[in-house]
Amino acid sequence: MQDAARPRTKIEVCNLTKRFGELLVLDDISFSVAEGEFVAIVGPTGCGKTTFLNTLSCLLPASNGQILIDGTPANPKRHNISYVFQEPTCLPWRTVRENVAYGMEVKGRPQKDIDERLDHILNLVGLTQCANLYPNQISASMQQRIAVSRAFAVDPDLLLMDEPYGQLDVKLRFYLEDELVSLWRKLQSTVLFITHNIEEAVYVSERILVLSNKPTRIKAEVKVDLPRPRDFMDPEFVRIREHVTDLIRWW
Amino acid sequence: MSQEATCNAASSSIANETVGQVVDRGPLNLARILTNRWFLHTVSIVAFFSLWDWLARSNVLGGGSSALARPLEVLEQLAVLTREELAELTLWGHVWASTQRVVVGFSIAAAIAVPLGLFMALNRYVNAIVKPLFDLLKPMPPISWISISILWFGIGETSKVFIIVLGTFVPCLLNAYNGVRLVEPELYDVVRMLGGRRRDEILHVCFPASFPAIFAGLQISLSIAWTCVLAAELVSARSGLGYIIVQGMNLSQPAMVIGGMAVIAAAAWGTTLLVTALERKLCPWKRKIAGL
Repeated sequence: MQDAARPRTKIEVCNLTKRFGELLVLDDISFSVAEGEFVAIVGPTGCGKTTFLNTLSCLLPASNGQILIDGTPANPKRHNISYVFQEPTCLPWRTVRENVAYGMEVKGRPQKDIDERLDHILNLVGLTQCANLYPNQISASMQQRIAVSRAFAVDPDLLLMDEPYGQLDVKLRFYLEDELVSLWRKLQSTVLFITHNIEEAVYVSERILVLSNKPTRIKAEVKVDLPRPRDFMDPEFVRIREHVTDLIRWW
Repeated sequence: MSQEATCNAASSSIANETVGQVVDRGPLNLARILTNRWFLHTVSIVAFFSLWDWLARSNVLGGGSSALARPLEVLEQLAVLTREELAELTLWGHVWASTQRVVVGFSIAAAIAVPLGLFMALNRYVNAIVKPLFDLLKPMPPISWISISILWFGIGETSKVFIIVLGTFVPCLLNAYNGVRLVEPELYDVVRMLGGRRRDEILHVCFPASFPAIFAGLQISLSIAWTCVLAAELVSARSGLGYIIVQGMNLSQPAMVIGGMAVIAAAAWGTTLLVTALERKLCPWKRKIAGL
C-alpha cells in the first residue's frame, strides 16, 4: 500500500552494538524503518532477538551506537515506544479496560481522550464486552490481546513485539495475526515484529530482516510486496517463505 | 458475579472462551448422599460433640467432675456469665476487653510494620539499617517479653498491648517486605516501557501487587495477637477472656475454662472475617471465576 512515495524515515538505528562482558551479542547493526512500516525480524534460536528488542526499547543500555526516533535519540519518557512481551503482562489489579488505558494514563493524556480512544480500540479488537473483567478471569490468549491493545492505544512511534503469539495454537494465531494487521493498517503505527515463525513473518510484514547467529548482524533484507489479505498457498508467498528459510538455515 | 457470562458471546468463536459453571446433576441415591460434602461435615461435627459428651459423662479420663465439662454445661455456664458479673464485667465486657487490646495492639503494629516493610523493600539503605535489628529480635518469642513488660508498664493495658505489638510486628513487616520483593519483574518493564517513572512503578505495581501478601501477613498477625493477649491475660489481668479461664481454673470449674476457650475461638474467627472482608473490598481483582 505504501509504494513509490515512501514516507519519511521514522526510526534510524546506527551501529548498534551490545556486549555482555566479553560476549558480543549485537555486532554493529544499522538499519532504518519508514513511518508506518511493518518490519518483521527473524533469526535462528538464541541469536539475540530479545536482546535486540530490549536494546531498541532502551530497557537495556546499548554498548555502542544509537537509536534515533524522528532524528532524536530514543527515550521512553519522551517517545512513545510500546512493547508487547512474549508473556502476557497485564496488571492483575486492573480490569481489561483499565489495562488497555494504562499506557495513556502514564503518559498523562486527558481523561476524555483516553475514554474515546478506549472505546475505539476495545471495539476494534472485540473486547468491549469483557471490559470490566479482571485478567485472572480471562484466558492467556485474551490477556495477550489486551497487551497488544494497550501497546497500540498509546499511538506508538515505535511498536516492538517479541514473539507475541509464540505460545498460541494455530487457529488463534491466524486470527490474531489478521487482527494485528488490521489494527496496524487502521492506526498506522510503525511496527517491529520479532518471530521465529517464518510463515508468520511473511504473512504480516512488509519487509523482513534476517538476523545471523551470534554475534548478531543483519544477514539479509527481504521485501514482501504482496497484496493483502495474503494467501499462504500463493506461489509468490511460498517462494518468499522458502527464500527466508534458506537464509536462516545454519545446518 | 453476573458479568462473567457476558464474555461468552463476543469471543466464543475466536478464543474458545468458555466461561460458565457446570453442575453435575445425577440421580439421588444412597452413595451420593453418603459422599455429599455437607453430609460428611455434619457427621464429623456430631461425632466430635458426641465423643466429647460421652467422655465427660463416663468419666473415662478420671478426675471426677472437675476434669471435663459436658458441652451443654459449657453453654449453660456461658449463659450464666452473660447474666452474672465476674469481676464487675459480664461475658460481653470481657470479650470487649480482650478484643479492644487485640485491635489496639494489632493496629499499632500494622500501622508501623507495613509501611516499614514496604520501605525496606523499596530502599536498600532503610533495609540495611533496619534488617540487622529486626533479625536480632525476630526469633525471640513475643510471650518471652511478658515479664519485662509487666516490670516496665505494670499490669495495666499498656503491657498487654505492648506484647501484642511485638508479636504482630514481625509477620506484618515480613509479608509487606516479601510482597514487594516477589513482584514479577516483567510488570516493572511494562511501566518503564510506557515511559513511567519510579513513582508510577511504586504506585501502580509495587503497592497493588503487595496487597495480597500484606493481607496474608495481617491474618497471621491477628491470630498471633489473640495468642499474645491470652498469654498476657493468663499472667495478670482483671478482665478479658484469659481472666475467665484463670478464674475457671481457680474455682475448679471446667465449664468456665472451656467456655472461655470457645469464646476466644469465636472472637478470633470474627476478627479474621473482618480482615477477609476488608481484603475482598480492597483487592477485588483477586476473585476467581467460580468453578474454573
